[in-house]
Amino acid sequence: MRCHPPRQTDLRPAPAVSRRQFLGAATLAAAAAVARQAWPIPAATPTAPEYRIEIGEIDWELAPGKKLRTAAYNGQIPGPLIRFQEGKPVTLEIVNRLDREEIVHWHGQWIPSAVDGSMEEGSPMIPASGSTRIQFTPRPDGLHWYHTHAMARRSLKHGLFTGQSGPLYVEPRANPGQYDLEQFLVLHDWEPYYSASDDGSLMVNYAAASINGRMLGHAAPMQVRASQRVLFHIVNASATEAHWLSLPGHQFQVLALDGRPVPTQAKVDALRLGPAERISALVTMDAPGIWILGEPRATFRSAGMGTVIEYAGASGKAQFTPPAHLNWDYRAFADPVPAVQKPDVTLPLVFTSRFEGHGALDRWMINGKSWPDAASILLHTGQRHRLVFDNRSMDDHPIHLHRHVFELVSIRGAALSGIRKDVVIVEAGTQVEADLVADNPGSTLFHCHQQDHMDSGFMALFRYA
Amino acid sequence: MSGLAAHDQPHPNLTIKERSLKVRLIALVLFAVAAPIARAQGNYEIQVYGADTVPPRSTMVELHSNFTSDGHLATPGLAATNHAEHETVEITQGINDWSEVGFYIFTSEQSGLGVQWVGDHIRPRVRVPEKWRWPVGVSLSTEVGYQRALFSPDTWTWEIRPIVDKTAGRWYFAVNPALERTWHGPDVNLGLGFSPAAKISYDFTKKITGGFEYYADYGSITHIASLHDQQQQLFPAIDLNISPKWEINFGVGIGPTAATDHWIVKGIIGRRFDWGKKKTL
Repeated sequence: MRCHPPRQTDLRPAPAVSRRQFLGAATLAAAAAVARQAWPIPAATPTAPEYRIEIGEIDWELAPGKKLRTAAYNGQIPGPLIRFQEGKPVTLEIVNRLDREEIVHWHGQWIPSAVDGSMEEGSPMIPASGSTRIQFTPRPDGLHWYHTHAMARRSLKHGLFTGQSGPLYVEPRANPGQYDLEQFLVLHDWEPYYSASDDGSLMVNYAAASINGRMLGHAAPMQVRASQRVLFHIVNASATEAHWLSLPGHQFQVLALDGRPVPTQAKVDALRLGPAERISALVTMDAPGIWILGEPRATFRSAGMGTVIEYAGASGKAQFTPPAHLNWDYRAFADPVPAVQKPDVTLPLVFTSRFEGHGALDRWMINGKSWPDAASILLHTGQRHRLVFDNRSMDDHPIHLHRHVFELVSIRGAALSGIRKDVVIVEAGTQVEADLVADNPGSTLFHCHQQDHMDSGFMALFRYA
Repeated sequence: MSGLAAHDQPHPNLTIKERSLKVRLIALVLFAVAAPIARAQGNYEIQVYGADTVPPRSTMVELHSNFTSDGHLATPGLAATNHAEHETVEITQGINDWSEVGFYIFTSEQSGLGVQWVGDHIRPRVRVPEKWRWPVGVSLSTEVGYQRALFSPDTWTWEIRPIVDKTAGRWYFAVNPALERTWHGPDVNLGLGFSPAAKISYDFTKKITGGFEYYADYGSITHIASLHDQQQQLFPAIDLNISPKWEINFGVGIGPTAATDHWIVKGIIGRRFDWGKKKTL
């Protein structure tokens, strides 16, 4: 039953997976075949798990001579690509080989609290050297991910600082775009360390970065041909860092944010992904050459955040030129004319921090309270709740709501509609409003997705009345 | 009090860049044989170094202002520190994330002499990069400089300063066990002098940090001076963290030993200029 997939053959930049090979006629049956390739399905019995995740320590080589020891799923970084079919129940066995409790969160899935993978919601922790078996029905479709939801606290060797994350793709009933190749990219930062930030508080920096577990220049290039359309599914699995990605000479046509299709499939020169954000974007390969798809900021690119894309027949060194400007505005992908919806309930959520010393992490608060002292926020089934994210701190925050999506309705006072997400970056000193229709009863965790922030109190629990 | 042999003389500076008048005093001691005390006179830059370096593509400009309200009086060939005002301009350029170079312009103003240029020093510094994830901050500074003979018979001096610091919650600790050497002047044969400095402070708020800075000169590392003849100085000091671009520090120094100026008021104001592109999320 234990199925160790071939290492990352379906995740690394090369060889790219052809749509024909992987999706055939884009039927769900073909998608299931892909899942079998990565995670073979054992002989079926009524109770047999179809998937097995094994959490364990591994030695991983980001680049020749650049090794690290960390916890990961099924012995690889990132964890194997999991493909589910929307609406088809799945059974998973999760085995924890670590000497500490762990938990796996199914980020972006609208599933019961008991299996969502958050201790705060009531999902049980998996004991050290123990295992658990869970069952749920995947929904919604699109690009999601699975990752540890364990606290790291002051340790930089636990939680999302480890390699415990992997892409999850729930096959859509209809493809959001026409494409020839499909490529999953998982961004991660490594070798974290504390340093003083410009605002005087402690922050986390990193010595290395990777895409699909490899530093720039140390993975086989992704091979493409001129005029091919490549659908990139990108997950930012960094514990704390937002990342930009650009591909010189090319534009990204954004099809979906956090797995939800966008109303306006705008083209942009660079993508920005906060921690836990996902983007599905189409790139038409119309600039032959050898290029770096990577972080436009040299600091991160030199740390390893990039991968090489090589056109057939091209030769020479991989080239990179950053875009002239790094602009990102969710509104570019929204309805051309914002639709106005009246909320039933308005819930102000004020984000502040308390200084704990230049050598300590700030204490984070929602409405003046830190987790676990924060009061629960009541939701009313079927009602539209307007969440007012009021960030009064000096940091940007990737705000995440479990088990639901919210629709962005204003950013810095400017109205928008049609963007449904489960993570949104609320920039320092700004307000973002988002509407949540309460349609998935159960305890629901709300938090900043920066590991150090959530570990320092930036969490609250939504409960259904 | 017994006289001090030349190699027993404490170095008259605290942290200093400029040890000028100490050397002159040492020379006097050499001539007088029995002269007991080296006087603290080189208070041009009074600062305990932290391990951080200035970031690349940034320049730090600092003004160190030190006023000796109760120092030693003038002696033949040696200006007084009493009521002397020392102004030092320090310009530090970040090279990369583990090195910087600093440059100093020392000046002095006192009754009868007016404003005088004293000398210049250059100070390269390297640090253990943060990405090495050491449990403490570590850097190493070395400083070479010239000062006019009018202010220091030792016209060329060199200093090496290991720096270790640690921030833990609201507490901050730093030690600078500096070693000093004269390259040209009467002290050239004195060998290495030991001039440690240390700091402990507490973050009362995000913007206000208070604590103590300690500066000393124990004389030659091979012949530690008697306590009476050592330089010992304690500064209750305040740091104001009003902005990442500004550095503000001030304190009042108390020197209990005979070899130390008894009261010094010091202030540092610094402004960081960033030349690189602004980091964007």
